Amino acid sequence: MGTTASQLGKDLLSEYQELTFLTKQEILLAHKRFSELLSKEDRNLTSVPMEKVLSLPELKSNPFRKRICHVFSTSDMKDGSLTFEDFLDLLSAFSDSATLEIKSHYAFRIFDFDDDGTLDGGDLEKLVNCLTGETEDTRLTPEEMRQLISNILEESDIDKDGTVNLSEFQHVISRSPDFVSSFKIVL
Amino acid sequence: MSHYNNTGGYNNTAYHDSDTLEIDRSPSRKSQSQSHHSNPHGNPYPRDDGAAGERGRSDLLQLPGGVQSSYDDAQERVPWGGWQEGSWRGRDSIPMGLLPPRSESPRWQQHDLNHSGYQIDQATHYDTMPPVRLPSATSGHVSMRFRGSRKMSLFPVGEAALGNLGLSEDDIRNEMENEEHNLVQELVAMSTRDRIKAIRDLPMSFDDKKHIRGQVLALKSFKKSRQLNCFSDCSTTVSLAFRRCGANMTLARQTLELWRGTMKEVEGKFGTGVLSYFKFLKWLLMFNIFSFLVNFGFITIPQLIYHPTPDIPAGVSFRGLEILTGAGYFSHTVMYYGGYSNKTQGTGGWPEYNMQLAYFFTIAAYMVLCGAALIYSMASSFRKKYVLADSGLGGAWQLLCSWDFSVTNEKAVRQRKNNLRIQLKESLSEKVQVALLPLTERLKHYGVFLGTWLLSTGMALGCGASVYFLCQYDTSRTRKSADKASGSLLEEAATLLLPFVVSLINLVVPLFYSLFKKIEHYSNPRMQVYAIIVRNVILKMSILAILCYYWMKDVANTFSCWESIVGQALYRLVIMDFLFVMLGSFFGEFLSNVIGTKCIQSLGVPEFDVARNVLDLIYAQTLAWIGIYFSPLLPVIQIIKFFILFYLKKVSLTQNCQPPRRAGRAAQMQTIFIAILFFPSFVGALSMVAYTVWTLPPSDKCGPFRGLNTTFSAIQIWMDDLNGVDAFQWTVWIYQHVIRSEIFYFLVSLIILVFIYIFRQITQGRQLLIILLRQQIVNEGKDKAFLLEKLQTLQKSKQNKQKKKKQVRKRQENESSTGMQQALIARQRLEQENGDSSSSFGVPMPSGHSVSTTSSAMMQAMLARQYAEDQDVASYRGVPFPADQTPASSSALIQAMQARQRAESQNEDEFYRAPVQSQNPVNALPSAMIQVMQARQRAESEQEEDEFYRAPIHSEHPVSSTSSAMIQVMQARQRAEEEESECYRAPASSQHPDASGTGSALIQAMLARQQVEEEYGDRY
Repeated sequence: MGTTASQLGKDLLSEYQELTFLTKQEILLAHKRFSELLSKEDRNLTSVPMEKVLSLPELKSNPFRKRICHVFSTSDMKDGSLTFEDFLDLLSAFSDSATLEIKSHYAFRIFDFDDDGTLDGGDLEKLVNCLTGETEDTRLTPEEMRQLISNILEESDIDKDGTVNLSEFQHVISRSPDFVSSFKIVL
Repeated sequence: MSHYNNTGGYNNTAYHDSDTLEIDRSPSRKSQSQSHHSNPHGNPYPRDDGAAGERGRSDLLQLPGGVQSSYDDAQERVPWGGWQEGSWRGRDSIPMGLLPPRSESPRWQQHDLNHSGYQIDQATHYDTMPPVRLPSATSGHVSMRFRGSRKMSLFPVGEAALGNLGLSEDDIRNEMENEEHNLVQELVAMSTRDRIKAIRDLPMSFDDKKHIRGQVLALKSFKKSRQLNCFSDCSTTVSLAFRRCGANMTLARQTLELWRGTMKEVEGKFGTGVLSYFKFLKWLLMFNIFSFLVNFGFITIPQLIYHPTPDIPAGVSFRGLEILTGAGYFSHTVMYYGGYSNKTQGTGGWPEYNMQLAYFFTIAAYMVLCGAALIYSMASSFRKKYVLADSGLGGAWQLLCSWDFSVTNEKAVRQRKNNLRIQLKESLSEKVQVALLPLTERLKHYGVFLGTWLLSTGMALGCGASVYFLCQYDTSRTRKSADKASGSLLEEAATLLLPFVVSLINLVVPLFYSLFKKIEHYSNPRMQVYAIIVRNVILKMSILAILCYYWMKDVANTFSCWESIVGQALYRLVIMDFLFVMLGSFFGEFLSNVIGTKCIQSLGVPEFDVARNVLDLIYAQTLAWIGIYFSPLLPVIQIIKFFILFYLKKVSLTQNCQPPRRAGRAAQMQTIFIAILFFPSFVGALSMVAYTVWTLPPSDKCGPFRGLNTTFSAIQIWMDDLNGVDAFQWTVWIYQHVIRSEIFYFLVSLIILVFIYIFRQITQGRQLLIILLRQQIVNEGKDKAFLLEKLQTLQKSKQNKQKKKKQVRKRQENESSTGMQQALIARQRLEQENGDSSSSFGVPMPSGHSVSTTSSAMMQAMLARQYAEDQDVASYRGVPFPADQTPASSSALIQAMQARQRAESQNEDEFYRAPVQSQNPVNALPSAMIQVMQARQRAESEQEEDEFYRAPIHSEHPVSSTSSAMIQVMQARQRAEEEESECYRAPASSQHPDASGTGSALIQAMLARQQVEEEYGDRY
């Protein structure tokens, strides 16, 4: 722990503390885990490729792992690689103390598979498939899927435009109290 | 125009346009997106955040910058060159018409003319263009709040913004900077704490937050350097110190956090539902540690200081069984009430310490603090998790949102996916099932409910009665043994009978209750859980109530040192309960695991029953609360018990159990558990203790209150003592006028009742408001749907009408003018429709929901139309037609046409193939116009008619300049058309010199025609 603290520097650490929902200890832990990802090869690289991030046990079996990486990555290459600051952003959004607004905002972007700013039928189908399993035998039948998506839209599409936008999504989220406690990744 | 081929529907048009804009900007995206990120207020490109309607609107602002910059930069930036027409086209070409007069932009003009064949170029371009997605990094970076303000600022601009549409890139950049500046200003004005919180709450990436923070800090330090004084310096230092202190406290708390790793492990495997049991356990443990510290510090330590060794009568020694029974040796120690003295300590140099008061106030303070903590956590939990939750929203979202991101175990994830799928299917079938249930079935269900409820309540009462008889037997036995005064081991062990039976009831009956779910059929699984909880609570509380009644009625009158006897009984109950919980997890979890995996496979691995286990905890905590008066050190036992229980349950869970099948509602369950802990449990314990303190006479021989009528009279005595001291008069006054006065309590309860009533009214008002707002949102949605539908029907009816008209006039009229006429009629229609839509959408929507893309497209079309008209009128009134003015007006017309087209027919791809095919190598401007006309024609006419109309248009080409003049005529005619439908004929015939002057409404048309004749008479 001591070594990582010296690596980060006090100013940087306090800045991280101020800009994220993480505590000092969590940031140090995050830094430790992050530099472990970089360990063998080039330490001078600033960002960790997505495959390595996904090897974290906390993300390894998450069905949304790739989406999470893509959403939090600020890389120009769109390859889902994360810098340390992206990584902190991720942990911050998934931390216990993050607000509902932040959490729902990122959840929306994670669920928005085609990045078009609304959850349409395609997004919802992907979402359900992600949650029930992708394989042929675990998937819902097309009829069930259609029914389910129409149920979802009926529930949440307040302005009836066939898609769920961010505010509608946040409306839904604010009414499902389990979300805050379950939208959480702790290192 | 083929670029519309890939448009999915109404909604996406504007979005796809913004795509193209994104492409245009791609070389400079880095810098722009940077500022975009860092400035949610000032983001003029909210292209990606779901508010589609607003997107469309903001496009209006966006375009000119994008387009003009593309022209400005055409020479410097290579990649732009290929895209510039793309942006032109994709943007509806609106900016073209909005550009400043040509004298100001010669390069533009030139450019425009040079690109005479631009339509061909870019049509093909769009065909080959790969679909380009928005970069995810920039999507959704704008929070709702900020967008809301953005929208508000945009709406009033509306049509007036047309004049401002000639914004340059600099303007836009300026605006962005402006907005960013505003945000920074806002942040600077906040206090340090608020600012940190506000910045942290911005849904932006780390870099952007850093950027904003840097700016804020820079501004802050700049300001500070100007007005530096001692005070502000001091306050900054102090606040900094406080913040550091706070951060350190959090850090310390986190370091001290118990079982963090274990919790994470449990969560990773079993999810938040099961974790809530462990959290609850930990929370109760904290309560007990606090209670132990208070009791030990204020009661036990003083007692031990003054009387280090307990007065143990001869012949009583520690035999080991005391650990179970709590009797014998323990009964003479500080463990129980009886072990404390009633003296005011403080002889021989020690400070004075009144044990009576210390005992009373410690217990009272603990109870009050416990109550406050419970009320606080219950209320906040209710507010966050229960009130907001909508029971009507029981369906799919509930399930989808409850996915546990914290589950890390591969197997657990698979299991969860499985469970979720089953639940989704169930939720689908439930909806069907509800309607199908016939009356007889329902009656049967009600019968079953009635039976089970009667049975369960009867069982609870029966258990209570049997416990009471057992208690009385116990009393008689104890009295006999007390007479004999021989403490044999067997007799001591016999005291364990009562707690054994009670614990056995607590273990067996709930298991029996859980069998009920086999015969009951609740429509909602949650109802089933609630039913089980209620039954268990009734059982446990009735047993405890009977016990309390027995203690206060019988024990208090029978035994000499009855408080210690009650303390012992509670001790035994706590210990027995602990043993039975261990047994329960052995039988309930281990055995059923063995049975489930080895013997009867169909049973499967047991689930961890969170509800039952939490109720056990609540029961145990109730015992501890009741016992706090009779046995001040009972929390020690409780702490040890909970500590062991935590590890026991963890091992049992990981070894024997599988995650619960029904995820979800964990948060609500937790709220319910806290509520149960408060209401029957804590309130019951409190009333029991309060009754004891206020009314029951304490025992004569032992304890701190010996010799008093009631415990509370210790306060009376203290007050009498204080009465003589002047310094404490106020205490006495408070005691007499507040504590002991009925009128005070009467007033307090009255005020509280009034407040409750007022708040209830406010709540009801809010509920009404919520319903209204919801209705409003739904209405907006309906409005939108209605408008769309109307648009479509109008279009259809218009097509029919056109067909009819065409059949009548085909022979008589010049076909090309008919085509144009159609275009104009269509345009007019659109104007009407847009009039509707503008009136409905111009109202700022309080609900914050987006206007649909379609309506925004319509808006664009309308705005473009209006602008085109303005220009047409302007150029029309300038009597001579300068050759260089035609491009502007005709292009404006094109824009209008395109916009029109877009709004009208998004789905039908074949409409747009027309211009691609019909490229005519003629003079650029009129041909462009004609192409548009053709497109319009095609859109409206059938395929076979299409060929028919193309020929006449071709024939127009030689007289290109005439046709541009003709446009003017059309414009004029359009205005005239408001009056009557026959007028349609007139402008069509205005190409023939002899057809002028058909009606008074056609004055403008005539004027135009005359001008045409004057100017082009030579050519004719």
